[in-house]
This record gives sequence, C-alpha cells and structure tokens, in this order.
Amino acid sequence: MKYMVLIYDNARTRERFSGEDGAELMAEVNAIMKELTESGELIGGEALGDPSTTKTIRLAGGVAAITDGPYAEAKEHLGGYLMLECETPERAAEIALRWPSSRFSPLEVRPVMSPGGAEM
Amino acid sequence: VSTDARVEDRLRALAPQVLGALVRRHGQFDACEDAVQEALIAAAQQWPQTGVPDNPRAWLLTVAGRRLTDAWRSDSARRAREDSALAAEPDHARVAPAADVELEALDADAGAPPDEDDTLTLLLHCCHPALSPPSQIALTLRAVGGLTTAEIASAFLVPEATMAQRISRAKARIRATGTVFALGPGAEREERLRTVLHVLYLIFNEGYTASSGPELARADLTAEAIRLTRAVRTQLPKDGEIAGLLALMLLTDARRPARTAPDGSLVPLAEQDRRRWNAEEIAEGVALVTDALARAPLGPYQLQAAIAAVHAEAAEARDTDWQQIVALYRVLERVAPNPMVTLNHAVAVAMVDGPRAGLALLATLDEQLAESHRLVAVRAHLLELAGDGAGAREAYREAARRTTSLPEQRYLEGRAAQVVV
Repeated sequence: MKYMVLIYDNARTRERFSGEDGAELMAEVNAIMKELTESGELIGGEALGDPSTTKTIRLAGGVAAITDGPYAEAKEHLGGYLMLECETPERAAEIALRWPSSRFSPLEVRPVMSPGGAEM
Repeated sequence: VSTDARVEDRLRALAPQVLGALVRRHGQFDACEDAVQEALIAAAQQWPQTGVPDNPRAWLLTVAGRRLTDAWRSDSARRAREDSALAAEPDHARVAPAADVELEALDADAGAPPDEDDTLTLLLHCCHPALSPPSQIALTLRAVGGLTTAEIASAFLVPEATMAQRISRAKARIRATGTVFALGPGAEREERLRTVLHVLYLIFNEGYTASSGPELARADLTAEAIRLTRAVRTQLPKDGEIAGLLALMLLTDARRPARTAPDGSLVPLAEQDRRRWNAEEIAEGVALVTDALARAPLGPYQLQAAIAAVHAEAAEARDTDWQQIVALYRVLERVAPNPMVTLNHAVAVAMVDGPRAGLALLATLDEQLAESHRLVAVRAHLLELAGDGAGAREAYREAARRTTSLPEQRYLEGRAAQVVV
C-alpha cells in the first residue's frame, strides 16, 4: 500500500531545522531517508517552500484571482511530504513518528487511492 | 515485432533456465542471480547487434558462469586481505571453488536440455521465509518469471529504483540468513511449498485487481501467475492444492472479460454478462478441481476453486446453486477459518436463508474487520436486500469513504445513489 506522510510545520519549527540544532535534525532526516531507500519503502518526498511563498489561485465567477500567501489562515502548514510503500498502515505511522519534526508539530498519514479494484 | 522485442522475449524465457542451472550447480542463490542479471544485460546489449547466438542458453550460461567466478575471485581476494589484516588462519571452507574447472563443467552442461525441476527449485529459493511477501513476489517475478525490474516496478506502480532496492535487499537478506535448506521431502520443504503457492496467489490477485491505469502490465501478472502455477503442477501433479490453486486462478480469470464495463467501472458477479466468460478456462478449471477433490486431501484452494466452479456453472446469476455454496463455505471455514471467508459465507447464507440471516452472521465480524470497507459494503448489500433503503445507502457511502480503490469507490457511490429509499 502507498501512503503519503504529510509533514506540518510552522515558522518556529522551520527555524529549528535551520537553527543551532538544525544540523543534527537534518542528519536524522538523512539517516531515515537512507534507511527507507534501502528498505525499498521510499517512493519520494520533498520539502515545500515557506508558506509565505505560496500563491493562492481562485476562479470566482470566471475571473482569475491570484493572491500572495496561503489559502487558509492557520498556525500549521503543509511543510513537505513523504511518499511511502509500506506493508501496513502501522508501519507508515511508525515511520512518521520517527520523523524528527513529530517532536514539534503533527504529521498525518493517509493512504493513497489505487487504480485497481476487486469485483464486489 | 522488432529485433529488440524478440531478443527480450528470448531472454525472458531463458533467464530462469540459466539461473536454475547455476543454482543447481553452486547453491548460493543470491550470487547466481546477480551473475545471471549481468549476463542478461550483456546479451541485451550485444545480441541486437551481433544476432542471437546459435545456442543462446549456452552463451548466457557461460557468461553468467564467468561473472560468478569473477565475483568469487574478488570476494576471496577481499577475504584474504581481511583475513591477513586480522592475522587469522585462512578458512579453506570459504575459498572459492577452482574457477576454471567449474567453467568447463558449466560449458559441458550448457548444451543439455533445461531441467524441469529448476522452476520449482527457484520458486522455493525466492519464497525464503525471512522475506516479506512483497519481497518474495518481486524476487519470484524477476528470478523465475524473467521480468525486468522496470516491468515489475510498473506492475506494482512504484518507481524502478524502489523496486530495484527491494530486490537487492531481498537477496542480501537471503545471503545473511543462508540459502541452504532441505530440498528433499520434509516438513520444511512442504511449508515452503505452501509459501510458494501463497506468493503465486498474491501475484495473481495483484494482476486481477487492476481495472484502470497501466492495465497491460498488471494483466500480465495473472498470466505469469498461471504459467508458474502450471509449471509447479507439472512437477507435483498429485498435489491437490496446487491443482486447486490453478483451478481457482483459471475460474477467476475466466470472468475478466465481463467484470469491467467499457468505461472501466466494476461489474459485480451477479450482473456480469456470463456469455463473455472464457469457456475454455472454465472447462479446464472445473476439470482440475473435480479431479483434485476426488482424489487428494481437501484444502482451502480446492474449496475456493469449487465455489468458483459452482458460480461458473450457473448460466445466469439466478441459477446459482447457493445451497451448495453455503455447504462449501461451511467446510472452508472449518479448514481455514478467516474473516474474509466468513464475509463471503454471509452473502451465500443471505441468498439461501434471507438477508437477515446473512446480517446476523456479519455481526460476528465487527471486531475482526472493524476497518474493512468490504464488511460495510456487504452489509450495505444485505440491508438493501432486506428492504432497509436508508440503512443501505448510509452503509454504501461509508464503504465508499473507507476504500482506497478508485473503481471500488465509484462503484459504491453508484450503488448508494441507486438505492430505493
């Protein structure tokens, strides 16, 4: 099964990764990425730019409006994601829990819809 | 057909034969598999230019054999360096066999016809108990099915790098835990044979559950599973469960032309146009399971095949002999108890004793299948049959939310919309 781990963050958690202890946290991230690559569980993943760099696109009444900044006023934003191939949802959750940002802000694990289906 | 495609087909057929011959001679499944992969790459590069050699199998065997001895030489050189660094006594047991002698023997063997036993031996290696099912599947498809890593990756909808990693990790795992096991008759071999059947069953299902997207590659998986199960049956024709599994695959695959509408949506068994079922596969499946039930000890694959055969023998859905299906599920629940079996049993009970009786049986599954969309989907269906339109609609919607399959979600939402409240 494929799962996406949605990694949320806010301005303060972002700073932790670039601040004093940042190197240590990034080393943890790299170690997990390496391990998941070797286990064949990692399909992909990226970090996203700061929420302030977001462009929000709306089409209201046929008129396009592009504004700077995120769509929702929220403390936490999607900061990045991992795409995993895991045998169980428990395994995907276990990986998410080990992701260092879990100490500062929540992550979500969601199954990815598959194109295959069984007759019912 | 291009030359490249012809060469690829040729290589795919030869790969397991060459690997089988190497493993038979040397053991060391993982090292042999690496060597064969290298030989295949060399062939794929050279043959389209130079033409296919007169004896392609001998060519591959020779090249793979050389790679194997090269690998051993560099391994033993490395070990010798490590050993001397540790000032340890050289361990004669770990020194590679005399390479040239081995090579001559291999060359002599190269012209011999492929040993039929090899397919089974390779399957037993690939289904190593230390591996997870996805790894067993990937290794089986590459080492025995002769599929490339790219083909396996596309069949499982993951990037090639992910699949390559899974395969190399599986081989490393086999290397670490040891490849030697009793190939002779005995409990270990018997247990591993059961694992092989399960892996073949999983490969089949993986191919069968596809309905949209990269359909071609996945449909190939069912054909591959059937081909490999046939090969195992050739080796062990008296085994009732192998025959049962082959019958189950054929009887299920027979429904393929009828189970999706032209737009890719799922058609349930009861609504399939049975004239589109594959009559040849049904005839073979029915004959196989009938014969197995008559003479072999009963097992879960035979029982599932028998149930599929009862469905296959009904010209219309309303002609289905549900009494017989209920009886078979009762035996299956005793032989191999499993909540999914109970779920299907409940549907059959509903057809014989009415939807309320089926719903009562479903209630026993609430704990075990709490998160399963299938339980909710079956409940929706039985509520609909019982005339509880509102309950059925709610259950169909809940099942639609829970499934992670796009075609199933579409199907369940469609059912929710059609329920008469």
